[in-house]
Amino acid sequence: MIMKTNDHDHGGQTAARTIPVRVLRQDAPGQESYWERHDVPWEPNMNVISVLQKVAAIARSQDGRPVAPVAWDCNCLEEVCGSCTMLINGRTRMACSALVDRVLEEHPDGIELRPMSKFPVVRDLVVDRRRLFHSLERVKAWVPVDDSFDHGPGPRISPEEQEEAYPLSECMSCGCCLEACPQFTRIETPRREGETDEQLAARRTAAYDQGFIGAHAISQAVLFNKHPTGRMMADERMTALTAPGGIQMCGNAQNCVAVCPKHIPLTRSIARAGRSATLWALKKLFDR
Amino acid sequence: MTLPSFVSRHQFIIYRLFSLSGLIPVGAFLVVHLLTNASVLGGAASFQSRVDMIHSLGPLLVPVEFALIFLPMLFHAAVGFAIIAGGLPNVGSYPYMGNVRYTLQRATGMIAFAFILWHIIQLHWMGTPLGGGRFDPHHATSSAATVVAPLGISLLYAIGVLSAVFHLSNGLWTIGITWGLWTSPAAMQRANVVSIAVGVVLAAAGLGAIGGLRATDVAAARQIETRMDDFKRMMEGQAPGAAAGGDGAPASTVTSPAADAIDLRPPSEPSPLVVPAPSPSLPGN
Repeated sequence: MIMKTNDHDHGGQTAARTIPVRVLRQDAPGQESYWERHDVPWEPNMNVISVLQKVAAIARSQDGRPVAPVAWDCNCLEEVCGSCTMLINGRTRMACSALVDRVLEEHPDGIELRPMSKFPVVRDLVVDRRRLFHSLERVKAWVPVDDSFDHGPGPRISPEEQEEAYPLSECMSCGCCLEACPQFTRIETPRREGETDEQLAARRTAAYDQGFIGAHAISQAVLFNKHPTGRMMADERMTALTAPGGIQMCGNAQNCVAVCPKHIPLTRSIARAGRSATLWALKKLFDR
Repeated sequence: MTLPSFVSRHQFIIYRLFSLSGLIPVGAFLVVHLLTNASVLGGAASFQSRVDMIHSLGPLLVPVEFALIFLPMLFHAAVGFAIIAGGLPNVGSYPYMGNVRYTLQRATGMIAFAFILWHIIQLHWMGTPLGGGRFDPHHATSSAATVVAPLGISLLYAIGVLSAVFHLSNGLWTIGITWGLWTSPAAMQRANVVSIAVGVVLAAAGLGAIGGLRATDVAAARQIETRMDDFKRMMEGQAPGAAAGGDGAPASTVTSPAADAIDLRPPSEPSPLVVPAPSPSLPGN
């Protein structure tokens, strides 16, 4: 089925077209998900976010039932903030940069929207990506400069190093690399009977600590281990990279680099981290 | 300390040993094994002399087999199955070449494991109580040729060999990434070409061996093997045919009690590998 055309073209006028949209909805964490269909009037230059805005404005499903608007995350709308990741026709990508006309070229049947499958659903297309940020904490993906003293200017970084580092610094924590990774599997810790917030958080953190850190965290560890100041914590990052759930979990499927919206050379980062891990392991074995 | 906690705390070193064991010794053994088998294309004697070389380890052969082949292979398989169980292949949604290879690597690993189990039971002496153990190291070519003679068995062997070869050559490529030998996309591409070339050569050797065995004239091969066996016994000062493979086939061309009495000159063709020289007498014995 191609996009529906209402009646006929009248004297060269563009007919009003509608785009069939299927959304996998879920009302709350842990509840059953269900499909809902919407017909969205086509407009020029739409992206998937504007489709969702239309769905919210219409607030009726395809069969005319009044429905609550679909919930989704978005912010910058220019593929920089990383918050609008979802599965568009089965593939992970940013909703803001998913242009409707291009999507329909590949899938004339319409648009299918699902929440990311590797993170617990909060509601509809909104997922809980705490694990992604927890991985960045595990590898200490920052430069340690926070204190009260003036340490003077930092070391100079050569243009060559800058050119290597810049692409890695473009990571926006969107989670596409994790969603597409066959080695990164979902960890969900639903609240148990009578569990307090603190108990749940501790259990969740413990579970995340055992899981695969993922390509984004490995690449950030490489970035900050290259940085002259960040390097001061290189050993701590290597300890994290070789801990349970570390770089050894990579299965070399290389989906991460194929789906990365920022075209970050993630597999090069992984191989470099692998080399560092090899040397690190030898050092641990023979230098202690 | 429980086993799961030990395994989880040492995950990095276990996965690296897993990766290494795929290359050395398991992968190295596969290369030697397939190239040895391919020597059957040079005739029954050529294969037999290589088998004799392996069996010249004598009582050391079994410990070597266990230490360098069976145990590393079991370790590799055990960790491999755990890794497969922890993954979630998604080649349907992301049909990229790397992802296809990721999925095939797991599929061929499982096929190769099942194949190797069956293969060992069928041919290795350890499989004798299970109705296998059909490989006779004194009659290498003829016994192996008899086993693969049915077309179905040959096809199963081809599938098993190709799975193992894909698993090794693709593994060669991923090992280089895992350990950080090739890191840039260009270097990975070059390594990929080399891995594919290795795979093609090994596949040719493996399939060549199956084809070579299928083309073997079993009776003629058996005659050659028997002559070689007799010669070996004679060199060791034993009576020819004294303990030849007891599967009912004519064990030797010289089986008479007078065997001891015959002159100790080797047959005019000591081994078809050696160019039949104008029959020099052996100096002493």
